[in-house]
Amino acid sequence: MTPLLDIKNLSFAYDGSTALVFDRLSVTVQEGEFILVKGPSGSGKSTLLRLICRLNQPRDGSILFLGNNITTIAPAKLRSMISYVAQIPQMIDATVQENLILPFSFAINADKLKPSTEELREMLRKFYLADVSPDQSAMKLSIGQKQRLAIMRALLQQPQLLLLDEPTSALDHESASMVFAIIERLNTEDRKTLITVTHSDYKPGEVKPLIYTLNQKSLHLSL
Amino acid sequence: MNQIIDISVPQLLIALFFILIAQASSFIYHLGLNRDITIGTIRTFAQLFLMGYVLTFILKTSNPWIVLGVFTVMVFSAMFIIKGRVKEKQIPYIIPTFLTMLVSYLATALFVSGLVIGITPWWEPRYFIPAGGMIIGNSMSALAISLERLFRDMRQQKEVVEMKLSLGANYREASLDIFRNAVTAGMIPSINAMMGVGLVFIPGMMSGQILAGTDPLIAIRYQIVVMLMLVGSTAVSSVIVMLIVRRRCFGTAEEVLLTPR
Repeated sequence: MTPLLDIKNLSFAYDGSTALVFDRLSVTVQEGEFILVKGPSGSGKSTLLRLICRLNQPRDGSILFLGNNITTIAPAKLRSMISYVAQIPQMIDATVQENLILPFSFAINADKLKPSTEELREMLRKFYLADVSPDQSAMKLSIGQKQRLAIMRALLQQPQLLLLDEPTSALDHESASMVFAIIERLNTEDRKTLITVTHSDYKPGEVKPLIYTLNQKSLHLSL
Repeated sequence: MNQIIDISVPQLLIALFFILIAQASSFIYHLGLNRDITIGTIRTFAQLFLMGYVLTFILKTSNPWIVLGVFTVMVFSAMFIIKGRVKEKQIPYIIPTFLTMLVSYLATALFVSGLVIGITPWWEPRYFIPAGGMIIGNSMSALAISLERLFRDMRQQKEVVEMKLSLGANYREASLDIFRNAVTAGMIPSINAMMGVGLVFIPGMMSGQILAGTDPLIAIRYQIVVMLMLVGSTAVSSVIVMLIVRRRCFGTAEEVLLTPR
C-alpha cells in the first residue's frame, strides 16, 4: 500500500548556514497513524513539519505524499490536503465564525461545502468551546481557546494529514489536557492521520501513538 | 503689468535671510540641524543652477534621444533615492522597480504631451521634461512609501500570512491585505493633494506660471492635467511594482522568504 507520507533522505540547513539540521532523515507515515515527534528545543521539530507542507525547502532528499513528490503538487492544493497548525495560533481580526470559515474564502476550497452556524456550534462544543459564540471576536479569546479554534479551522477543510506544531506549549495544564484529548479523539474516532511535535511530557491515554525522537539530525522510533 | 520681474543676484542673496532664521532656531534650541541646513542651502543653489543650465541646453535640443536620455537619467536618480529610503537587503526589488518606473512614467508623459496637450513632436522638451520630472518626483515618494510598507508588513505579519497559506491560500490570497495597504499608503498623498489643491495650497507649477506672467486660467488647466496625471502614474506604477515585488517575497512553493531583520 502506498504510504500517505514517505520522507526519503531529507537534509536541511537554514539559509546561509552549512550546519545540517537534518541529515538524510527518512520516515514513513501510513494513513490513520498518530505520530508523536519528541525532541529537545532547537532540534528542528517545527522545521520538519514546515518542510512537509513546503513552508521551508529541503537541501536534499524527497517527500512523497500518496506517492507523488510534493514539489509536483501545486502549493495551495498541497496545503489544503496537508494542514499545518503553528505553535502560536494566529487569528484574523474578525469573529470566531469568520475565522473558522476563512479557508473557504480561498480559491482552492471554493467547491467545498461551508459549514453552517449550527454545525460550527456543534463542533465548538466538541472542542470544549461550548461557551464561545460564533459571533464573538476571536481576538479576545484566551491562547488555549485560540489553539483549539486553530485546530478546528484546519480540520474544516478536511485535510488528509494534520500537522500540529507544539499545540500545548503555551497552554496551562488544563488547556493542554483538553487539546490532547481532542487530538486523541481525532485519531480514534475520526481516523485522522496526525503528526504532532511536542517537547511536553504528554502521556498518551488509550491511544498508542508511534513515538519518534528527533536527535542527531534524524528520527528514531522509540519502542 | 505682464512683464516678468527679474531677480538679481543681490536680491537672491537677500532671500538667504530665511536660512539665517532657520540656522538661528537650530542654534538656540540645539536642534543639531545647522550642518544639514548649510549643506541643503548650498545644494539648492548648486543643483538648481546646474539644472537651469542643463535645461537651457535641453530645451533647445531637437534630438529626441537626448530628451529620452535625460528622462532615463531622471528615473535612474529616483531609483537611487528609493534605494536609500527602502532598506531591504533580502528581496531583489531594484531592477523591476526601475523598469516599471521607466515604462509607466514614459507612457504617462507621452499620454499627456501627445494626447492631452497635443504637442508635436511628442518629445518637445519644453513640455516633456517638466511633465516627466513631476511624474517621477511624485511617484518616487509613493513607491518608496509603498515598498517600505510592503516589506515591513510582510515581516511583521509573516505568521498570519503563513497561517493563510497553511489553510490553502495561494500567495495572492495570503497577502491581499498587505498588498492593498501598501498600494493605498503610497496613493494617499496624491489623493490628499487633489483634495487640498486650490484650498490649502497653490501648487508650485501653477504659482510659477502665474508669477512668470501666464494667464491664471491657462495655468489652472495645466495644473488640473498635472494633478490627474500624478494620481494616474502613481496608481499604475505602485500597483505594478507591488505586484512584481510581492511575488518576489515568496519562493517557488509560495513560501514566505522574508526573515526577521
